[in-house]
Amino acid sequence: MSGEIALVSTFASEEGCARGIEELHEARVHDFKAFMPFPAEHVLEASQHARGQGRSRVRLAVLIGGFTGFFTAIIMTVGTSLEWGINVGGRPIASIPAYIVIMFELMILFGGVSGVITFFILSGLPAFDPETGYRSRFGVDKFGLVVRCGEAEAEKLESILVGAGAEAVEREAVVVEHGAAHH
Amino acid sequence: MAAAIETRIEPDLVDIDRHVQQTLAPGGLKYWLWVLFCAFWTAVGGAFWTNQIYNSFEPTGYGQPTMWAVYITDFVFWVGIAHSGTLISAVLFLFRVRWRTAIFRLAETMTVFAVATAGLFPLVHLGRVWFFYWLVPYPNERYLQPDFRSALDWDLFAISTYLTTSVMFLFVGLIPDIANAREKAVGFRRTLYSILSFGWRGSDRQWRNFSMVYLLLAGFATPLVLSVHSVVSWDFATTQLPGWHSTIFAPYFVAGAIFSGCALVLTLAIPMRRMLKMESLITIWHLDNLSKMVLLTSVVMTYSYATESFMVWYAQDPIELATFHERYFGPQAYLFWMMIFCNCVAPLPLFLPRVRTNTIWLFIISIFVNIGMWLERFVIFVGSLSTNADPSQWKFYTPHLVEVAMTIASFGWFLMNFSLFAKFLPIVSMTELKEGIGYLKQAVRGVYPYRKAA
Repeated sequence: MSGEIALVSTFASEEGCARGIEELHEARVHDFKAFMPFPAEHVLEASQHARGQGRSRVRLAVLIGGFTGFFTAIIMTVGTSLEWGINVGGRPIASIPAYIVIMFELMILFGGVSGVITFFILSGLPAFDPETGYRSRFGVDKFGLVVRCGEAEAEKLESILVGAGAEAVEREAVVVEHGAAHH
Repeated sequence: MAAAIETRIEPDLVDIDRHVQQTLAPGGLKYWLWVLFCAFWTAVGGAFWTNQIYNSFEPTGYGQPTMWAVYITDFVFWVGIAHSGTLISAVLFLFRVRWRTAIFRLAETMTVFAVATAGLFPLVHLGRVWFFYWLVPYPNERYLQPDFRSALDWDLFAISTYLTTSVMFLFVGLIPDIANAREKAVGFRRTLYSILSFGWRGSDRQWRNFSMVYLLLAGFATPLVLSVHSVVSWDFATTQLPGWHSTIFAPYFVAGAIFSGCALVLTLAIPMRRMLKMESLITIWHLDNLSKMVLLTSVVMTYSYATESFMVWYAQDPIELATFHERYFGPQAYLFWMMIFCNCVAPLPLFLPRVRTNTIWLFIISIFVNIGMWLERFVIFVGSLSTNADPSQWKFYTPHLVEVAMTIASFGWFLMNFSLFAKFLPIVSMTELKEGIGYLKQAVRGVYPYRKAA
């Protein structure tokens, strides 16, 4: 979009950053991205609320992966036992209690691997292109709130961010990003 | 000597980064000499193993009836070491225990390299190591599959799942810290950190997914703490051998694993915090809490030893009685009593706060525990095999040079990997320290329960 810029605001505390998100939400502005040095609870809650998001879908991926591992183990252990059944003193060919360990381990393995893969996909990783508004201090001790807007709205949004407690608000040209979707 | 509580200026978020990132500065001559020393022992182990592959087990002390000896002792020792890492990083994470933040990365790293070391020993123990993959189920022309009822096959699944989950847990937790280190790094390190951080920026979307996957991996790793060493114990408990065939083995092994692992975290953390100048991040408060874990598990171990002996006496099985009689009073009884001293008596001074806050005492006690826990495995495995159900077969085993060299080499291999990791990747989590900075400030001020009056 021509005339689109990014407002890069810096906050000293997570509470300030969360307040900034809440006020943007009240102003019906949702094209923002928050950066933080650790998973700050207030900021995450505010951004989830503003975007109307539920919990991360990583949970679902782990559940599906876990079930897949569990059933893979059943098919593998029972299937191979039945394929070449050896009758040892009349004991069951497929002895389920002995296979529980394999089922448990594969459930954990598949669940974990699918969770990590989904985490990478949902987080837009890998992402080696430069990111609009990112500052290295946002990984150290500052919280960043980057808002995309048209030049006409910039002044109004700047005053909202300063009002929420931003230490500084800078204007930056938007970098064209490749790869994953914005949210 | 009275406890030397270091008085430090309270760290802020920038200090945490500075402190941790200074550990990533290029290593000096002493560091590289140390790595070379460890590499030398690794090479010695490799040479002995190569010789063993060519000339079979002839140079070792292995022979009937003791066909499982030092290699399996080393295997169980290293798997056990790994467990406390997962306990500290995953279980204590779920319980939101704050003192874990400064040491969990170290413990997790220890877990990964300890499992990687342990995994080598079943291979070393194989006569024809090139057939190791026969344990793995794979389609083949003879329609043969491994026996999934076998505890050894359970072990393969348990250990490989544990290693994979531990590596994922460590690596996912590392991503934000590597990204942080990337910003200040130059040259080769910048390239390395850029690749390993996958372009992480710490946006709300990334943190949201990160928090969830980390929580779920911790949830998965928690039952693994209990299951993996239980499965290892079943390698022994599912046999009919006197001294092994016991229902107490699973909890007994898990407690022992946590005991030895916490002790090794102390052994590594105490010199490392001094060498890497991290006294203000890994404080006495952290070591004190860790030593309480050692003390608790030591008491559990004492109880387990007593229960095991009681069960043998109560059952009055003559073969079990004979095996345990040899264990307590036989030619190798001195190993058993050394084990009792190291595991049950030496940690008792940890009841005293003065000892728990003195790094020298903590280091000495942790060494005793490491030795004691290695001896425990040796006494259980070798002792029981030497005095099996048929007295005509009884023969006591003594390790030969090969086994001794391989054991030393395992320490060399472990320490080499650990030392390289500590210089190239953040060994303390900046992210979690920042999250719990309030607790860290209290710890640096020396404010924790029994020192409030001081």
